[in-house]
Amino acid sequence: MPATFSRRCLGCLLLLLLCTRVSGGTPAGPAVATEKLKPASKQNSQSVSEHEIVLSGAPVEKSVSVPSPTKVELTCKLDENSHLKDPQVTWKKGSETISHTSKSRNSWTIQLTISDSSHLGTYTCILKGEKELSAVFHLQVPKIEGREKPIITYEGDRAVMVCKTEYNPKAWIWYMNMTNGTGQVSIDKVLPTDKFLIKRQSAKVSRLEILKLTKEDRGVYWCEASFDLGTSEARFELRVLSFTAPLKPFLAIVAEVAILVTAIALLEVYSKRKEKRGEKESDQIEQLKSEDVPRRRK
Amino acid sequence: MPAPAEVGRAPGPPDGGWGWVVVFGAFLSIGFAYAFPKGLAIFFKEIQDFFGTSYSEVAWVSSIMLATTYGAGPISSILVNRYGSRPVVMFGGLLCGVGMVSAAFCTSILQLYVCVGFITGFGLALNLQPSVIIVGKYFLKRRPIANGLAMAGSPVMLCTLAPLNQFLFENFGWRGSFLILGAILLHCCVAGALFRPIGARTALVKTPVTEEGNDALKGKITEDGPMENRTEEEEGKDCFEKINQYLDFSLFKHRGFLIYLIGNVLMFLGFFAPIVFLAPYAKHTGIDEYSAAFLLSILAVVDMVARPATGIIANSRWVRPRIQYFFSFAIAFNGACHLLCPLASSYTGLIVYSSFFGLAFGMVCAMLFETLMDLVGAARFTSAVGLVTIAECCTILLGPPIGGILIDTFGDYKYMFIKCGAVMVLAGTFLFIMNYYNYRMLAKEEKERKRKEEDPKSVRTEDEGKKNWNKDSTQDGPELEPLREKGERVKKEMNGTVEV
Repeated sequence: MPATFSRRCLGCLLLLLLCTRVSGGTPAGPAVATEKLKPASKQNSQSVSEHEIVLSGAPVEKSVSVPSPTKVELTCKLDENSHLKDPQVTWKKGSETISHTSKSRNSWTIQLTISDSSHLGTYTCILKGEKELSAVFHLQVPKIEGREKPIITYEGDRAVMVCKTEYNPKAWIWYMNMTNGTGQVSIDKVLPTDKFLIKRQSAKVSRLEILKLTKEDRGVYWCEASFDLGTSEARFELRVLSFTAPLKPFLAIVAEVAILVTAIALLEVYSKRKEKRGEKESDQIEQLKSEDVPRRRK
Repeated sequence: MPAPAEVGRAPGPPDGGWGWVVVFGAFLSIGFAYAFPKGLAIFFKEIQDFFGTSYSEVAWVSSIMLATTYGAGPISSILVNRYGSRPVVMFGGLLCGVGMVSAAFCTSILQLYVCVGFITGFGLALNLQPSVIIVGKYFLKRRPIANGLAMAGSPVMLCTLAPLNQFLFENFGWRGSFLILGAILLHCCVAGALFRPIGARTALVKTPVTEEGNDALKGKITEDGPMENRTEEEEGKDCFEKINQYLDFSLFKHRGFLIYLIGNVLMFLGFFAPIVFLAPYAKHTGIDEYSAAFLLSILAVVDMVARPATGIIANSRWVRPRIQYFFSFAIAFNGACHLLCPLASSYTGLIVYSSFFGLAFGMVCAMLFETLMDLVGAARFTSAVGLVTIAECCTILLGPPIGGILIDTFGDYKYMFIKCGAVMVLAGTFLFIMNYYNYRMLAKEEKERKRKEEDPKSVRTEDEGKKNWNKDSTQDGPELEPLREKGERVKKEMNGTVEV
């Protein structure tokens, strides 16, 4: 994820305007369509998953998640508008060449049976002609979502870490780094149940709750999902603050507001007094004038 | 004491001076009221994970807040009628602060609904209406500009709150952020402190000047003193008149008000949904998340510029007398943008759409309250705005879910855009036609009035039924302190010019 501040701002503008929606829930439309449109992937009933990349110029990479042993078909297709004619096509995994078949005039396919983790990796198709075009497929264990930014919590509160994935893992394990630096310890074993709660909300979501937080609970936590072909991990960083941390800015802002309001009130009182003084003076002038007139008459 | 010759040449609203400070205060206040519910969305994912609820349950927080802000409009109006703008806004600011601070200690989502939804929402309602009302009291000639500037607070606050909320969230988590946001909302009290009460254009003394007083710009005439005398005589109307004292239900007989109400209620059905669905639509057409967010930024920036610009245009000699037409045009233009949106499927097309949408959105928002003031006069505006916001509350909340249902049913965004566009074009046309009719009726009534002027009058007469609500003499309400009235000037509201 790009880390520049402006990008983050845009990200949150997106989020905040999305969330003005009432509880109509997420429409099916965008949920379905937020997959990348360019490469299409399908899964047919014989559990052969097909993945295709259309090459037009720039090199393209695609990640393919393989949760369980399956057959996979990878296709490189040449864009109709491309000028490359009759290229020489090679499929490679690492340095090893794989034989391919040509399904149609401008597409080349390899079929793979993924049965253990050695079959995962990076597969490249290279088209050589006047120019060289390439596409890369990364076959890997499904990634799990964690949180990149640190989670901020407070003493006495509880911390919640949620791990999600799109596929069904066999098991979830949570680890934490012991503060005396002895490496990772599985939380299941440590388990005082009034302190650590692990809930599996659904097959795809696992939730760790840490209750009655203290400063010692801060650090790094890991969530690991095991699939048939391997495991994947997500990292969480927990920070525990004391409640005085936000209290200081809070009091500062309240003091500022109080000062502003008093200043405005004083300004108003002062200007009213000036006005009254001004009025009094003009009244006096009027009085003097009106006294003048009869005197003159005399 | 003013010389007798000065009677009949009372000062109008300041149209400047402290008025601009009031506009700044209103800018802050309105900005918080509109932008704050949207800005909270950054915290929703974290709150959802923390309480283990679904996304919709968390989104209810925002909806409850929005509903309370609009729904508590009449209460706001009643309080302003009774106490004036300043105390109400300051109390509203305090309430917002208290709401958010208590939200920082919440332990369940229901408590969040109450603290953030109801309490803070109510506080924001007490901010929004009085700010709009007091701008109308301080300005007449330059009112459209003042309104445009004050309403520009919304996009500016949104652009400020979004990164600020993100920063607070990353450094303090959601609880700490709510605490600090509570303190930030206290700035509404500062805005309220700036709302110096201003005298109404009421006659303290019966003047020999005839007053064709219907559209005369009065700050706020409370019917306290004289009303009480009268109601003792007419006991049948006792309760009704007491209610009318605080919230002017007779507005429902006001032609202009009804036109505005129907038109706006219709318009809001299609007003907010496109903003909500713009980013998902962009992602649907294959644009990445950050470029989609960029579209919304373009919208916000164009909106920010469009609002004061519209105010200036609406204030010009050519537009001001026919400001209702301009408003209808803005709404129809907005609708046309939405109707054309499905044709834009490339990123450049969407950028163009966002810019025009931002422009149209800004135009409509800048004139939203100005046109209402124009129709009912600043005096009855207090009650009018309350009644209008509670009516709009329903359609505002219905708009996005209906759009969502359309998208779900058809699986395509274009029907949602077509629906929004059609509704707004319809609303714009309706307003255009009805206002044409209204202008004509007003011109007729004006002629009638001029004809009646042949007869000498010593009392204000009750003219053609629609826009009048004269009382014989008035008592100072809470707003009438500094500026004492020495007489009254006839002002023609519809022409927007002041006859000196």
